[in-house]
This record gives sequence, structure tokens and C-alpha cells, in this order.
Amino acid sequence: MNLRPQSLVLSKLLLLLVLILPGCAAREGNSQLGAAEAEDFNDPFEDTNRGIFDFNQVVDRNVLVPVAKAYRTVLPDPVRDSLRDFLHNLRAPLNFVNDTLQGDFVRAGRTFARFTLNSTLGVGGLFDVAGRWGQLPYHEQDLGVTFGVWGIPEGPYLVVPVLGPSDPRDLVGQVGEGFGDPWNILVSGNPWTLYWIPYVRGGVSGIDQRSRYIETLADIERTSLDYYATIRSLYRQRRAALVRGERENLPPPASFSRNDGPVASVAATNRASQRKLISEAPNVSEVSR
Amino acid sequence: MTRRSVLTAALVLIVGALAPAILAAADPAGVINNLGNRALEVLGKNVPPAQRVARFHELFREDFDVPGIARFVLGRYWKTATTEQQEEFVRLFEDYIAIVYSSQLAAYSGETLKVTGSRADQEGAIVASEIIRPSGAPPVKVEWRLTDQHGTYKIRDVAVDGISMAVTQRSEFASVIQRNGGQVQGLIAMLRDKTAGPAGR
Repeated sequence: MNLRPQSLVLSKLLLLLVLILPGCAAREGNSQLGAAEAEDFNDPFEDTNRGIFDFNQVVDRNVLVPVAKAYRTVLPDPVRDSLRDFLHNLRAPLNFVNDTLQGDFVRAGRTFARFTLNSTLGVGGLFDVAGRWGQLPYHEQDLGVTFGVWGIPEGPYLVVPVLGPSDPRDLVGQVGEGFGDPWNILVSGNPWTLYWIPYVRGGVSGIDQRSRYIETLADIERTSLDYYATIRSLYRQRRAALVRGERENLPPPASFSRNDGPVASVAATNRASQRKLISEAPNVSEVSR
Repeated sequence: MTRRSVLTAALVLIVGALAPAILAAADPAGVINNLGNRALEVLGKNVPPAQRVARFHELFREDFDVPGIARFVLGRYWKTATTEQQEEFVRLFEDYIAIVYSSQLAAYSGETLKVTGSRADQEGAIVASEIIRPSGAPPVKVEWRLTDQHGTYKIRDVAVDGISMAVTQRSEFASVIQRNGGQVQGLIAMLRDKTAGPAGR
């Protein structure tokens, strides 16, 4: 889940999916209730998505989780930490560009300082000296978030084979990053000797990420009534939170004063539209009354 | 009874006796501080699951606006439910939440909750906090939305890294109801099934 496409081939595959998926039949919401619900879930391709989700679950159970568990068992903590720090450092150019594109020059500066420190003192990124001693913790900014900050809507919720929850905005963002990543560009000139590097990088970072959530996701799956719906909500809220940035963690109060209507906070995809929603929200009586 | 559980029991008694006094002071940050201390001390790995669920029940009832949350998570279906269904739903929801979150909290041993700030809000207050992890991993941001109920603050929602638990729950319940032909009874049946047994499944 949340694997990053690190190769151009994979990126092209994703681009294809963006073009194909909207062609799938949308589930109709005939009643008024159904229409409001559909807007809340933002999931017009739910049947297709659930099918892919089930497939992903099979892959997750039989391949990703066993591999992630083995990864966690075989490699000692310091090795995995170093590997993670190294992968984080490889993302620095993309993070820097996204910080800049979002107009956050202070954070861009921090990203640049981190990259410089970790690539030198941190032995090519193997040790996160900037985070541990330099008060410069790692943070990640991707192109999907940048699009969101610019006010581009998320589009319908999508489940991508193997890669998991997404939406057109995030998919396009991932494709863009696949093309724009300097490391990918660097190795694309050496098609016969280094072409495998982005695949390995993508695979390892995917396994590393999955290994951090083995227990959490198992717990959510065990206790939830509808795992698909829970993951959908978690993904969309998390992405919306990243677009809102650190400025505000909770959805606007408006969404909590109304218990009949689509969730304003989830529908909102950027700060501008959120502000609009707050001002437009009617004074509906509080839930508790 | 081991030495450790005697200590834990004593701690529960002491904290339990102090809690109402602290709550009477009723500043929102105090509510969260107090809850954090009790939760993280009592809900750790060493507590047997059944006891953990029971303890969580108490915390949930004391510090959370359970009827308000239950109504929120049922969303527009609250109005379509009969009074009996509403009553049964509130009861089952409380059991369900106790199972879900006590099992999640079991994994959070060794962490501490640090209140980092609070601000007034149109319905009450928002308290910002961080879960500090002993591993040195980046802290998890947790925000608490509280309602002011006649001078007593009750928790209405918890947001972890910007993800609202109430919104997540409402979205899931709405999906379950929709897939059961729009019938609240379908959700109630699933909740009954999930909450049956000693500490859930």
C-alpha cells in the first residue's frame, strides 16, 4: 500500500489506469439519500474499487505482509533505520520541489539543509544526522498534496491494483514524480545497467512502509465492520489533512454541527473551498440538541 | 494477585478518587491531561484484555459525550431509526468503541500524552496534544474536540494526524447501512455480532 512508482514503465501503467478507470460504470444513486451518500463517500466506482480492494487484500495477505514480516525479522533495527533514512534522503529533491511549488520556502530551505547534512555527514543519507541532532525532522511532500494546495480537486476515490487507495489527483502526482525524480532521470540514460534501480527502490520502500503498519492495519481490519469503507475514509481524511497542512489539524467546526448532510470536511479538498464551506454552512442545530 | 496488579489497582483507586476533583475545575486541557494519565497508565499491555475493555468503558462514559457521538456517527440515519433502535444503537456503540480502542491502546505502552495547547471553539474547546514515543520516532499529533456541557467539558471527537475518529466511524456506519438496504437494523445486527463474546473478536 502506498508504494511509490519509481520507474517510467510503472508510471505509464498508472497513466493508463487514470484513463481507463473513469470509463468504468458508475454506480447510480437513485434515491435522494443515495445521492447524498455518494457525495459523502466520493466513490462512484465503488463496485470496481471493492473488487480491486479484495484482490489487493489477497496480495497483501499472501505476499506483502509475509515479506514485510520477514524484512522486520531478518534485518536488525539499526539496519532498517539506516535503510529508511537512506530512502528518505533519496526523496529530498522531490520534497524540495514540492515545498517550493507549495510556496513554503522555509520548509524548502529545511529540506535542502537536511539533504546537504545527511548526504555528507550522514554518509550518503544512511544516517539522519539532521533529524537526530539538527532539529530538522524528516517531512514528506508529494505532488498530489501540491495539486491539492493549488486548489485542484481530488476527483473520485480509486483503488489501484497492488498500490492501494488513491484518486486521480494523487495518481497524476505519482506519475509526475516518476518522470520528474532526478534519480530516475539519472538512471534512465543507462537502460541496460541501472534500469533495475528504481524498481528495487520502489519495492524496498513499499515493504518498509508496509512493515510499519502490520499490527495497526491488522487491528483495524479485525475490529471494523466494513474494512473497505474505513480505509477509504482514513485515506481521504489523511490526504485532506496533508493538503490543509500543519495550520489546522481538525476539519472545520461546520462539519460537526450538522448531522444530516455530506461531511463538509471530507468534501473539502483545499483550504480555499474549506473557507467557503464554513461561510456557507447554515446554522443547523447542534448534534446534541 | 501479583505485586504489579496490586499497584495498578491502588493507582486506579487513587486516580479515580482524584479525578472528579480535577474535572470540577473543568478546564479542557486538564480534562485531556487527566484522561491521558489515566488511559496510558491503566490501559497498557500488562492489563488483561477484559479488564482493559471494562476500564475503557468507564473512561469513555466519564469523559466523552457518548450520546452526542453516537448520534453524530449515525448521521442522517438517526432520524430514520425508531426510539428502540436508537437506544440499542447507543448501547452497542459504546461496547463497540470500548473493544476497538482498548485493543488499539494496548499497543501504546510506554508512550506519554503531552498537551501542547488549547483554544476556544464555537462548541467548546479544542485541545492539541502529542503522543511522545519512547523509540524517538516523530510524535503523533492528537487533537481533541470538547463540548462545554454546563461547565463540564466532554470529548466529542479525537483527530489523529488530522483524521477524525468520529468522521471515520460515521463513514463506515453509513456504508454498512447503505449496503444493508438503508436499514439501521442491519448495522445493529452487525454491532451485536461484533460485541458478543468476552472481549470482542
